[in-house]
Amino acid sequence: MKQEKIGTVVGSTVHLTGALKDSSEINIFGSIEGEISSETKVVIEDTAMVKGPITAPVIIISGFIKGSVIAQEKLELNSSGKIHGNIETSDLLIHSGATFIGKCTMPNKEDKGTETGEEIENEQEGKDSELIEGGEKEEDE
Amino acid sequence: MYYYIFESPKNSRERQLFEKIRDVARTFGIAGEITQSSPARTPDELTKMGLEKNYSTIIAIGTNSHINKIITRIMKEKPEYPVAIGLIPTDPTSSLSKNWSYKSVEEACETLKYRKVEKLNVGLIDPGRFFLTSAYIFSRKPIKFYLDVDRWQAEATANLIQIFSNLTVEVEKFDFEGSKLKAAINWLVGKSNEKVERSIFRGKTVKVSSDKVLPVYVDNEIVARTPISVYRKLKVLNVIMKRDKVLPDKTHDAEDQSGERN
Repeated sequence: MKQEKIGTVVGSTVHLTGALKDSSEINIFGSIEGEISSETKVVIEDTAMVKGPITAPVIIISGFIKGSVIAQEKLELNSSGKIHGNIETSDLLIHSGATFIGKCTMPNKEDKGTETGEEIENEQEGKDSELIEGGEKEEDE
Repeated sequence: MYYYIFESPKNSRERQLFEKIRDVARTFGIAGEITQSSPARTPDELTKMGLEKNYSTIIAIGTNSHINKIITRIMKEKPEYPVAIGLIPTDPTSSLSKNWSYKSVEEACETLKYRKVEKLNVGLIDPGRFFLTSAYIFSRKPIKFYLDVDRWQAEATANLIQIFSNLTVEVEKFDFEGSKLKAAINWLVGKSNEKVERSIFRGKTVKVSSDKVLPVYVDNEIVARTPISVYRKLKVLNVIMKRDKVLPDKTHDAEDQSGERN
């Protein structure tokens, strides 16, 4: 008879301003201006529009976000999703068709440091140059 | 010692039921002082008298309106000794009947005798109207409601706002199929022509206002008008529960949106 704990649901006819916090899941269909944080999961549906930072272990985005997104465990950006802001997550999945304008930071699981988008790019460039060098060496041999 | 507050019976069937409750209570060994509300003695006054006599178990028998008046008086009096309330709702369609309906008078009396007490949440509509289940505001046409909950405000177009005693707020907007053809097709294939758009929030305090003044109901009784402020009182009322009942719907589980407890 015990009822499951209901999370927060912001319907498409609701416009909310302020800080929305919940220990359980938050589902957004409407528009929000302010901070959103959950201890479990935040789902931004395709009708939703959020202006403000979002923090949760798992975040799934199908709507429009203008603000930073911090997903400690996983961030999924669906094809209809748009993020204008910086993201921080350890597990990132971006589907084809999605829009992401901003900087990505991914905590390094091995040394627990962080890598920014720029650092990843630089590191990749370094690896590419090493490969080219290696290739040249093979040719020389 | 039990203190019974019966509602004034509306018909002969209800009179017979009340007689039976008195008889069965006696056979179960839980007889006590019997009182009955009337225009001269309101449930509020009878509850006050019972509390003055230091009764530790008050049994409310009647409609939700009657029971809520007794709950409101107990909450207002704040007796220093622990008081438990037993409920026998007589309206089978009421929200209280979902959790306190009994198959027979014997089952009700056995529950009262067993006296399994749990502390339940109570909602408070300012000024001084308490409710155990939920309060609601309804508009036939969708209108703008304004909610002020803890640290956020919301504007919602809706038909129904329902506030539960743990301050879970459900906002519902009903959409009916506009096209007659589609409505007929839906009817033929067994699909509903009504879509419900629902929002769910939780908070510690909820303020609700609307574009036009609307009545606020607790079980079909108007208890206030918008704008209203609603507060929650966590685990403050000792209620006798059915033995198989673990938790009643939405009267428990009081974790707020920040995960704290009051």
